[in-house]
Amino acid sequence: MIEVHDLKKTYRDRTVLDLPALSLAQGETLALAGANGSGKTTLLRLLAGTLKPTAGTVKTAKPLLYLPQKSYAFRGTVLQNVLLGTQGKKQQAMELLEKLELLPFADKKASSLSGGELQRLSVCRLLIRPCNLLLLDEPTSACDPQSATLVLQALEAYRKETGCTLVLSTHTPRVALEAAGRLLILRDGKPEADGAPQALLQSPDSDWLRAFIAGWRI
Amino acid sequence: MDALKQALHLLFSLDPELLQILGVTMRMSFFSTTISCLIGLPLGALIGTRSFRGKAFLKKLIHTLMGLPPVVAGLLVYALFTHYGPFGRFNLLFTVRVMVIAQCLLIIPVVTGLTASFMEQSTRAVIDTAKGMGLSRRRVLFLCLSESRTSLLSVVLNAFGRSIAEVGAVSIVGGNIQWKTRVMTTAIMLETNKGNFSFALALGFILLLIAFVVNVAASFVVREGHDD
Ligand SMILES: Nc1ncnc2c1ncn2[C@@H]1O[C@H](COP(=O)(O)OP(=O)(O)O)[C@@H](O)[C@H]1O
Ligand SMILES: [Mg+2]
Repeated sequence: MIEVHDLKKTYRDRTVLDLPALSLAQGETLALAGANGSGKTTLLRLLAGTLKPTAGTVKTAKPLLYLPQKSYAFRGTVLQNVLLGTQGKKQQAMELLEKLELLPFADKKASSLSGGELQRLSVCRLLIRPCNLLLLDEPTSACDPQSATLVLQALEAYRKETGCTLVLSTHTPRVALEAAGRLLILRDGKPEADGAPQALLQSPDSDWLRAFIAGWRI
Repeated sequence: MDALKQALHLLFSLDPELLQILGVTMRMSFFSTTISCLIGLPLGALIGTRSFRGKAFLKKLIHTLMGLPPVVAGLLVYALFTHYGPFGRFNLLFTVRVMVIAQCLLIIPVVTGLTASFMEQSTRAVIDTAKGMGLSRRRVLFLCLSESRTSLLSVVLNAFGRSIAEVGAVSIVGGNIQWKTRVMTTAIMLETNKGNFSFALALGFILLLIAFVVNVAASFVVREGHDD
């Protein structure tokens, strides 16, 4: 569940996010799109509570999990990374690693993983614990198409199991289409379009949106 | 070469005065380093990872104090602990304790400042990631410390290095009293002033040796941390 009203984030005199309203029911899925700097990360961080709004209110379901845009490898092995802060979940961790094709790396240092592998590990680290709201900042940006599929499948399975609300940002049309029932496109911090991904992609209703989506298809 | 030979001779002959000076030096540096780190590491970690009002000013203040000349720190502590000073009744002047106090005044800002700027740069990602995983506050702090232990160790070593090499403050408040407050650096000063250059040099070699041994020992402690 998410309830947002008159949300604004301003740095000095520049407003980087201005969102009059956003509400998601429990279990709904939302994809965020928009050019670099359009405010996707800002919105996700405001939802996650790691950033204080300049104005407005944010109400979200708890507990929530949040994947920062940049992946980080903690010291220790891949398996130890997944098990951080959990208890008695070794079996579950192994299954998750298997699902994301990271099992061969289980005993390798997490810092030795490639960008895409590390990103999949970051997803595992979240999916090992239950939540009511899952916030993911470009969770497949470093993944090849096959790996992206693995991530999407894992997310789908997790969602079925927990019934969580999901918000993710992406630059990949396919991710928006497959992972989300709703697509919000940001432009300079403002909502430019909001609707079913399929509909928005097929029949954009403004010149700007047409151009944006044309660029997206490449 | 002569000095080196003399240094080895001094060490292996277990010269009682040398041993006593070494003992005082190690005791002083151990306490200065430990106390400074006990205060400076958590303080620096807090400043580096939190945002609050007046933070910029506090950082400027700490950076200024990082450049505090040792003799000034010595003078300040001397004024505080002299017979007629506010803390005169503790009768601490010319003791190892007051030397430790003066050194802490010098080293706490260094430990705090280095820890803060280090934490500021490198723990953002750790905090974001760990909080995003829903980990508890305590666990996040613990992760910050364990993720940066190599750098924190170098802060500790830096503190120790400063303490053992420092001469200005300890000579003022300690008085370089034989069998009591004389440490390696003040002994070197004294021997140099007396014209015993090779003896002073020999002491210098021994000081260097101590620093080397401490660093090697420390590198074993975090050995496990290097993963490439
Ligand atoms: N701490 C900050 N100070 C000033 N500007 C910032 C800060 N953080 C982000 N911004 C600006 O906010 C805008 C939106 O950033 P972001 O939400 O990260 O965009 P996106 O994730 O959509 O690429 C960018 O133009 C960025 O430069
Ligand atoms: Mg972003």
